[in-house]
Amino acid sequence: MLKYIKDIITGAITLLEGMAITFKYMFQKPITLQYPEQKAQMTTRFRGRLVMPVDEEKGDNRCTACNICVKACPNYSIAVERLTDETGKPKPKAASFTYNMGTCMFCNLCVEVCPFSAIVMSEEYELAVYDRKSLIKDLVAEKYKLKGRKGKWWISKFKDEEQV
Amino acid sequence: MTAFMQFLKDLLYDSGKAFGLIYDGGHKIWAGFNLPPLTLDIIFLLIAAACAAAFIAINALFIIWFERKISARMQLRRGPNRVGIFGIFQTVADTIKLLIKEDITPKAVDKLAFFLGPLLVMTSTFMVFLVMPFGKGLIAADLNIGVIYILAVTGLTVLGLLCAGWGSNNKYSLIGGMRSAAQIVSYEIPNVLVMLTIVLLSGSMKLGDIIAAQPTVGYVWMQPVAFIIFLIASNAEINRGPFDLPEAESELVSGFITEYSGMKFAFFFLAEYTNLFIAGALGAVLFLGGWTGPVLPPFMWFMIKSYFVVFLLMWIRWTFPRIRVDHLMEFAWKVLIPIALLNLVVTAFVIKFH
Amino acid sequence: MAEKLPASLEKLNTEEYLLNMGPQHPSTHGVLRIILKLDGEVIKDVVPVMGYIHRGMEKMFENRKYDQIIPFTDRTDYLSAVNNNFAYVIGVEKLLGVVVPERAEYLRVILAELNRIMSHLLWLSAYGMDVGAFTPLLYIFREREEIIAMFELITGNRLTHNAFRLGGFKYDVPKTFFEKLEKFISHFADNLDEYETLLINNVIFKSRTVGVGVITKALALSYGVSGPSLRGSDIKMDVRRDTPYSAYSKFVFEIPTGKNGDTWDRCEVRMNEMRQSLSILQQAMQGFPQGDIMAKIPKIIKPPAGEVYTAVEGPRGEVGFYIISDGTEKPYRVKMRVPSFSNLSALKDMTVGFKIADVVAIMGSLDLVIPEIDR
Repeated sequence: MLKYIKDIITGAITLLEGMAITFKYMFQKPITLQYPEQKAQMTTRFRGRLVMPVDEEKGDNRCTACNICVKACPNYSIAVERLTDETGKPKPKAASFTYNMGTCMFCNLCVEVCPFSAIVMSEEYELAVYDRKSLIKDLVAEKYKLKGRKGKWWISKFKDEEQV
Repeated sequence: MTAFMQFLKDLLYDSGKAFGLIYDGGHKIWAGFNLPPLTLDIIFLLIAAACAAAFIAINALFIIWFERKISARMQLRRGPNRVGIFGIFQTVADTIKLLIKEDITPKAVDKLAFFLGPLLVMTSTFMVFLVMPFGKGLIAADLNIGVIYILAVTGLTVLGLLCAGWGSNNKYSLIGGMRSAAQIVSYEIPNVLVMLTIVLLSGSMKLGDIIAAQPTVGYVWMQPVAFIIFLIASNAEINRGPFDLPEAESELVSGFITEYSGMKFAFFFLAEYTNLFIAGALGAVLFLGGWTGPVLPPFMWFMIKSYFVVFLLMWIRWTFPRIRVDHLMEFAWKVLIPIALLNLVVTAFVIKFH
Repeated sequence: MAEKLPASLEKLNTEEYLLNMGPQHPSTHGVLRIILKLDGEVIKDVVPVMGYIHRGMEKMFENRKYDQIIPFTDRTDYLSAVNNNFAYVIGVEKLLGVVVPERAEYLRVILAELNRIMSHLLWLSAYGMDVGAFTPLLYIFREREEIIAMFELITGNRLTHNAFRLGGFKYDVPKTFFEKLEKFISHFADNLDEYETLLINNVIFKSRTVGVGVITKALALSYGVSGPSLRGSDIKMDVRRDTPYSAYSKFVFEIPTGKNGDTWDRCEVRMNEMRQSLSILQQAMQGFPQGDIMAKIPKIIKPPAGEVYTAVEGPRGEVGFYIISDGTEKPYRVKMRVPSFSNLSALKDMTVGFKIADVVAIMGSLDLVIPEIDR
């Protein structure tokens, strides 16, 4: 009988403790990020989708179509076509860089192996599209301009400055 | 002019008197046109019913919004804030969406039971409002068995839930329906015992008399144990909070409402939240002194007190984990009923020898 | 086990029926399907059906180069990506004979322990949902978000980090990382206490979990149950202590165990494990050495022919990789030993005789991750 009463009282105390916690939180500021208006600031290392930014000094992308990234990709999401001159001799320049975002798993391996820092993972994270075909992108034709912190970080990468 | 002001003041503070004026005046005019007085009574009845229905719908919408806001604040969220100021019209938008949604009736359901389920639940919920004292004189019928009437009518809900559970022809629904039947029936008992205590104290089953008999602070100070038992039992009866076993999402998907969609689902939803309000209103009437209170109109006091109890129920709901079905029964029969009985006996003795 | 029926009910003619729980069910945590044989609400038999998201991971490993496999290991148990990386990476490093710099070892331990906390936090919040408490989830995700932000700072991704490389790390730690870690450590213990009062010590929660789903010592060992589910049954077994890998031998930590092996013990073990992880984090942060972050490894990774089994203590139990190398760029065979699979196999012995609600509670306490089972 005594145990019965004791159980009820201790049980009620634990319940009240829980209620005190929820009551306390009721007067705290919400932590919600009002998404479409406010957006989270991604870190410089954030891996959004793959882009091939235009190097402002060069006026073009830095890709030499060496195919190292193609070999490094675990999912075969990258296909590079090399530019050729009139005689059919290949030039160190990519004619097209086909990137299939549908199969990409954002592992960053292609970026890490690139000896020229030609490709980089952008800060974008709203990658959903309505059409499956639009997941396949030609990065050379896109002429992506990388700006902001990520852009600075990317430039510092191939200029051998201190990494952020 | 002063007569009109007096009328307005009556409307707020002594609605019974104001409605009496309207009623008498209407009948005088009606008699002038030489029409049978019964037709006017019917018209008044229809207007009153429409008002009640509108009140129930709007109140349910508000209470859903209120719950979403309260739960959001407890969980460090903001809750609805897109449709209208503070998202107040969010529930309206949701309702419109539910109303224009396709009402799917699965092939294998028992059509009659499937249809009757939401209807019975809704009807039994509506019927409670007959005896609900919203303010001074603002009561449809102050039955002299008000308390018993409420218990009887809310008990009808079980029938609807069973119909829905059985008619859906879905095992999850069936388990949900059965659980709710067991739950409502067993939690009715502590609820009756608690209400009996109040009836003992006030000496009447009429809700109006109960309110009148209460001291200014309400019975909650005389009967704190009864109030807690009432909160728990009514929480269980309306299938909410830690007792939401019939629709336990993580176990039974959605219990008896698994197969419902569109309008029928909206009926269940509306009934659930109206039941929540009824629980709050009963708590206000039985324990917090109903519509009595200084300065503000009685109706306002009634709503404030009801919403206070509703808030308590929401607070409980958003804090605790769900209880298990056998513990639920154990809790009712081994804890609540003995305590409620003890409370009743002690109260009876105190009243007798005081 | 459930109590016997009273004599008056024994003659009652009841009918058993089958209930299909999943693959789409709110509390099977993915696409596990469980066929329940029920008598009323009491469970007579449980048959888990798996394979709904089988992706042929192990076969995929055979067609990838050694360094390409790492991002795939993230995707077996997505909640403990780092620990899966860990088990695989130290295996290949063993084959290669590479010694990882101490700084990288420490960072690995930090990430692995953060990952353990992250996984346990998600378990706690999901378990709260399973037993019907919605509110803890939103509090817990606040702390989880902090950890995710730290991961994002170091690895660049939030869930499937692909954090480790063979030989260490590609990039060094950013400077702001330790500030964040320090801030996290400073308040996390208080938060844990709060969650314990809010959920674990709640009387309703206790009544749902104490004595439910008991795994006895013998049963746990015979099924190969590992991790917190094993330690809940009072068996002090932890890969981090028994066969220390990486830098774990340098840290002092306790191994929390339960007493009865019931659901509540498993929960309590996880809560205490988070506290221990916090202490490891503190030690690792204080003793964080200077130096290289990457060992010298060959450009083309061709481990000599041979085989190796390495295991780490993941949040769910022992994560093991059995790698056979035939001397080429790609492994001959990689076999994963996943904890969730063995833990799931004990489900039947734990649930028969309990009620539907208990299946949810028991499955939640095992902390199953379905992609890991199906692979």
